[in-house]
Amino acid sequence: MFFRVVLAEMKKNVKQHFFTVRILFWTLALPLGNGLYLYFFYLPFAATSVNLEFYASNFTLDLAGFTLIGQLLYSFFTMMLIAGNTFVREREQGTLEAVLLSPANRIAVILGGALAGAFHYVWLLIGVVFSWIAFINVGVVINDFLALFASILLSYLSLVALGMCFEAFFFHSRRGTMYATMLQEPIMFLSGLAFPIQSMPRALLPFSYLLPLTFGLISVRLTLLGGASMFDVAFPLTILATMVIVFSVLATWLIGYAEHKAKVKATLTQF
Amino acid sequence: MNNTTFAVEARQLSREYVSTRRSHLVGKKTTTVIKALDRVDFEIQEGELFGLLGPNGAGKTTTVKILCTLLEPTSGHAFVKGYDVVKDAAQVRKIVNMVAGGERMLYYRLTGRENLQYFAELYDVPKKDVQTRVGRLLELVGLADRADDEVEKYSKGMRQRLQIARGLINDPEILFLDEPTLGLDVNIAKDIRKFIRDKIVREEGKTVLLTTHYMYEAEEMCDRIGFLNKGKLVAIGRQEELKRKVPSGFSIELLVTRLSDEALSGLSHLKSVKNVITTDYEGESEGEKIDRLVISVDNDKAAPEVLDCMSSKHCRVVSVNLRGPTLEDLFMYYTEEA
Repeated sequence: MFFRVVLAEMKKNVKQHFFTVRILFWTLALPLGNGLYLYFFYLPFAATSVNLEFYASNFTLDLAGFTLIGQLLYSFFTMMLIAGNTFVREREQGTLEAVLLSPANRIAVILGGALAGAFHYVWLLIGVVFSWIAFINVGVVINDFLALFASILLSYLSLVALGMCFEAFFFHSRRGTMYATMLQEPIMFLSGLAFPIQSMPRALLPFSYLLPLTFGLISVRLTLLGGASMFDVAFPLTILATMVIVFSVLATWLIGYAEHKAKVKATLTQF
Repeated sequence: MNNTTFAVEARQLSREYVSTRRSHLVGKKTTTVIKALDRVDFEIQEGELFGLLGPNGAGKTTTVKILCTLLEPTSGHAFVKGYDVVKDAAQVRKIVNMVAGGERMLYYRLTGRENLQYFAELYDVPKKDVQTRVGRLLELVGLADRADDEVEKYSKGMRQRLQIARGLINDPEILFLDEPTLGLDVNIAKDIRKFIRDKIVREEGKTVLLTTHYMYEAEEMCDRIGFLNKGKLVAIGRQEELKRKVPSGFSIELLVTRLSDEALSGLSHLKSVKNVITTDYEGESEGEKIDRLVISVDNDKAAPEVLDCMSSKHCRVVSVNLRGPTLEDLFMYYTEEA
């Protein structure tokens, strides 16, 4: 039943989003422009490269690519927060009661909503990388496609799992969106979105390593720009896989707890 | 789970809402506690259409939300088919469904069919049955020919009918209807009432709890009625039983000729008469103008006394009509008394 609900939820979300051909067209076309925009945004820094030290290895990466990937994954992270806030959307359109009345697994509902956003994400990623390779000379070096695929997939899943934990706040409080917005700036800073985390004060590093985005950025940058192999990124991938499990378990508990609290406080179906 | 024979059972059910407010951004917090339900006890038999009536804010929707597992009671217990709505919430959700009035609980960008298919998946309706059940429900609510149109193109009545179909998608044993005809025009509301009473309750044998503040709706549909007022259940029973308990609410409608001030004064001095309203009547009897009197009396024994008074004042009575208390009278009586 779990996967049935996930699929139903994905289907519903995709249908609700792509209800006209025009929307479909712009969803497909915009990432190309987005890639160009990001490139020109970081063009002034493109003259040099950046050294990324990780796990006793030193990779020299294209600086433009480095920052572009940071921006790209961060866009995805914020997209996950928006795509994942299933209950806020349901609440706003007056359908939350109908969903919660059903015996459907809550995690399955959220997961379906988040995975429906995967279409946007995958296309954004393909569209942006394609526009870099086709129109501008970003130094893309891929030696191990499997490692690249694993990096993207695990980054994606870990962010989905973290997004599900956030969903508990959306469930419990009408201020969930505000909390999510408040977290954006610290996460931008701590994840090493625009600079290598080694440049950060040492005291802040432990906080960086709590974020799946940090490890996602490391593994995607190394495999997409540094030609890293599966062996090179084995450590961040293991951490990401662990985070997927830990955040999923945590999300299951948090959602159950938040639903109970919301029923007690009567905030479940209020706008 | 308890071993009850009732479809729904509420025992000392209470619910409080706590609201905190600050006078300004950094001001002191003040907390207000609103008692939405206060030790409510009732039970509903299987296959019964039970009406919960009360003014706005009486606690009707709170009761329904607790029974549907959308809200937890502050104290007391509620059982649906013997399942505790808090401890066995997952079991309860499988056997109940709820339809609310207003334009909620549907996805407007999906078609009617897609809406029902989506909810069928959430309720884990066997895959082989989904298409048949969706088709049958669309047929049942008269939307088969518009099934593949987006809900945003539906009229209000069509959306409400689709909501009812959604409420039946899991073939629930108990259906909660929270103001299901709210804002609908007379004909559509009538069709929906007929549909609920004849199809859902009589034919399919489902148990229905209906909340409404339309008295005629409850009068027309419900087997038993409970009156909620300020969170308390002030009366419960069959309509006839409740009417018998009401000492007022009877009225005598008289059509008379030769009505005089003296007769009106005589009537108002009668002990059993509470109020007299005079209205013009379009008609004549034996060349004399007819007046219409609506006389509110204490009980149904007052008629002879009223007629004696009229004849002693030389009025000629053309017609007499004794009317018992309506549900509206009961509603006023029970809610005002409380």
